[in-house]
Amino acid sequence: MIRHQIRFAAAAAACLVLAACSQPADMGPPQVDVPTPLPSGINFSPEIDTAPVDESCQPLASYNPGSTTVEQAVAQLDDPEQITIGVSQSTNLMGYIDPETNTPAGFDIDIATAVAQSILGPDANIRFVPMTSGEREPAVNDDRVDMVVRTMTMNCKRWANVEFSAEYFHAGQRLLVPTASGITGLADLADDHLVCTGEGSTSVRTIAEQSAAMPVTVPDFNDCLVLLQQGTVDAITSDDTILAGMAVQDPTLQVVGDAFSQEPYGIAVQKGNTDLARYINAALAQIIANGTWQTAYDKWLKGPLGVAGAPPSPQYRD
Amino acid sequence: MLAALRFTPGQLRGVLAVIAALVLGAGITGMTAILAKSAVIEETTSQSGRLSVAALSLYQALSQADATAASSYLTAGTPSDEMNETYREAMRDATVALATAAGEVKTPADTALVAELNARLPVYTGLVETARTFNRLGEPVGATYQEQASTLMREEMLPKAHDLQENSLGQLKESRSDAAAFPWVAAVLTAAALGTLVWAQFWLTRKTNRVFNLGLVGSTVLLVAFAGWLAMASLASASHTTRSHEDGSAPLELLAEAEITAQQARAEESLVLIARGEDQQAAERFEEHFKALADPGQLLDRLDEAFASDPELSKNIDTAREAADTWRAGHDEVVKLAQGGKYNEAVELVVGESDTSLWASFTTLNDALTEATDISADRFAEATNDAQRSLSGAAAGLAALALGALICAAVGIQLRVAEYYA
Repeated sequence: MIRHQIRFAAAAAACLVLAACSQPADMGPPQVDVPTPLPSGINFSPEIDTAPVDESCQPLASYNPGSTTVEQAVAQLDDPEQITIGVSQSTNLMGYIDPETNTPAGFDIDIATAVAQSILGPDANIRFVPMTSGEREPAVNDDRVDMVVRTMTMNCKRWANVEFSAEYFHAGQRLLVPTASGITGLADLADDHLVCTGEGSTSVRTIAEQSAAMPVTVPDFNDCLVLLQQGTVDAITSDDTILAGMAVQDPTLQVVGDAFSQEPYGIAVQKGNTDLARYINAALAQIIANGTWQTAYDKWLKGPLGVAGAPPSPQYRD
Repeated sequence: MLAALRFTPGQLRGVLAVIAALVLGAGITGMTAILAKSAVIEETTSQSGRLSVAALSLYQALSQADATAASSYLTAGTPSDEMNETYREAMRDATVALATAAGEVKTPADTALVAELNARLPVYTGLVETARTFNRLGEPVGATYQEQASTLMREEMLPKAHDLQENSLGQLKESRSDAAAFPWVAAVLTAAALGTLVWAQFWLTRKTNRVFNLGLVGSTVLLVAFAGWLAMASLASASHTTRSHEDGSAPLELLAEAEITAQQARAEESLVLIARGEDQQAAERFEEHFKALADPGQLLDRLDEAFASDPELSKNIDTAREAADTWRAGHDEVVKLAQGGKYNEAVELVVGESDTSLWASFTTLNDALTEATDISADRFAEATNDAQRSLSGAAAGLAALALGALICAAVGIQLRVAEYYA
């Protein structure tokens, strides 16, 4: 009798073990990572360019307008009836699409319009062509546009590929941080701070060389603002003009510290097209003299940048 | 025991035992095979069927939501009622499908997929709503939020929804081939039983000089009927199952793929404009999707071919094709306008409320595919029901026939055995 019970118990135990083993694999709650939205192409360890900076030229020195006539300038256009200008449509305050009117607006757009009007008259037929910063040089050289007015810094590397007008705005690289962060400049950045900037810009190198922070790059610098608002990065670095365009969209952010790079903006035209560059310089001098420049500055940048601002004085090489 | 086989009555009892064993075996295996088929077909209409339908509608609803969210961003925060409605409907469909799928998943991999999709959906809607708010406020950063939402959808959510759909279709295919399999064991046993019965009758004739043993003849007839029914039921259910695949689920998959491809192309088209013409990759992705949809030999052509003999369905595909052509021409115009700086006109063409806007072409295309999907879904259900019906009563009938054959054989042989003791 007892032996039977033992056998029965053994059989029952065996059944239990078998039943336990034959159950479907672990169906406990699945492990799910916390979803963090990131822009595609974000790079948390961008390569820092270490090649020596080309300083073989004087980047601010453009061509003296001299006695270049408007006819000479018009002759340089692809279509004498129309002027095509490469711009940004996604850089708030500088060149962007006003979401309410769906038309291009901003400081760059106002300068470009004024230059176009001095070439083709007040009713100038202007075509704005949107482009990324990488497209700027090929666009003027492949005749896609007559000129580019798109937060384009004049430097020796670019002088080798395009002609620049005289400087029409003097920008500099700064920091955009949450007001509550307490960061007031480069010196406050620690090695656990992530600083976001646009891919392929010189800002990556500057921030890596001049601060302890870790640079993070994204294909489109606008992604930086979203990342800062979501708390993924601690600061954004770029030209103060671009940062101002972000700061006006969010009252909890502010542009801080002194500029730690020089970013002179120029209008780019096709390499070798010095006639057009000369006439643009004449137009710029006129725009600055007649107050158009100041009006545009006051409209777009004075408030956000917090300084009265004065037009740069042109430098010519001849 | 073996000694008994030296005498005729013993031999008779031995033959009976063999026949009884074979008939019983055939009866039981035949019946269980049919019952198993029934259960499998039941499953294709229930668990794995429901899972694959849920996975498919989840995938579709998500891509529809993304296409609509991106389009409505372009309306400067004031989308039409129709667009708002479409987005809300897509979100409802997606959440309902997700809940259904959560109840039907059977594997850890599928459970993980559902959980991951569930975790991302609120993040996605959060991004879309943030984009809308900034857009209404006139702040350009809204565009970046919308792009990020689409990136989350495109790079994480849609691939997971696609995986879930693939898994569920795989499970469905497995059950389908189970349902179409021929019951070979039952067939072999039936043949053996028939052979033994026929041999027994010749053997009895030699032994007893009587031509017919009514019991054995009856048994043979019943067993032949058994074999016929088994074969017919199996073949019919296999053909219905195949039909449910060919008429129903195969076109359903193709239609869904076309619909999703169109929706993704639509989302990319909107993204090109949301990025203010500065996102070359979105433009490339649009081309990819559109080619996969409308190029020669691609989805629309394959659908056309599949439905060539079916006026009801091919009418819808013709409508879809026409809408795709209009869309394509319109898209080229949009690209030209956007590159030429006529952003306002480009946006109007893409999301305007006129009948010539691309929103109208896309909606026509999408609706035509949805209608064809509904028709195909009905066909699928019909064929599955037919398969089910062809098996109805077969299990009970086969059991009765096998039992009858067994009793007849027993009676027939027992009568002969009795003669030796009379």
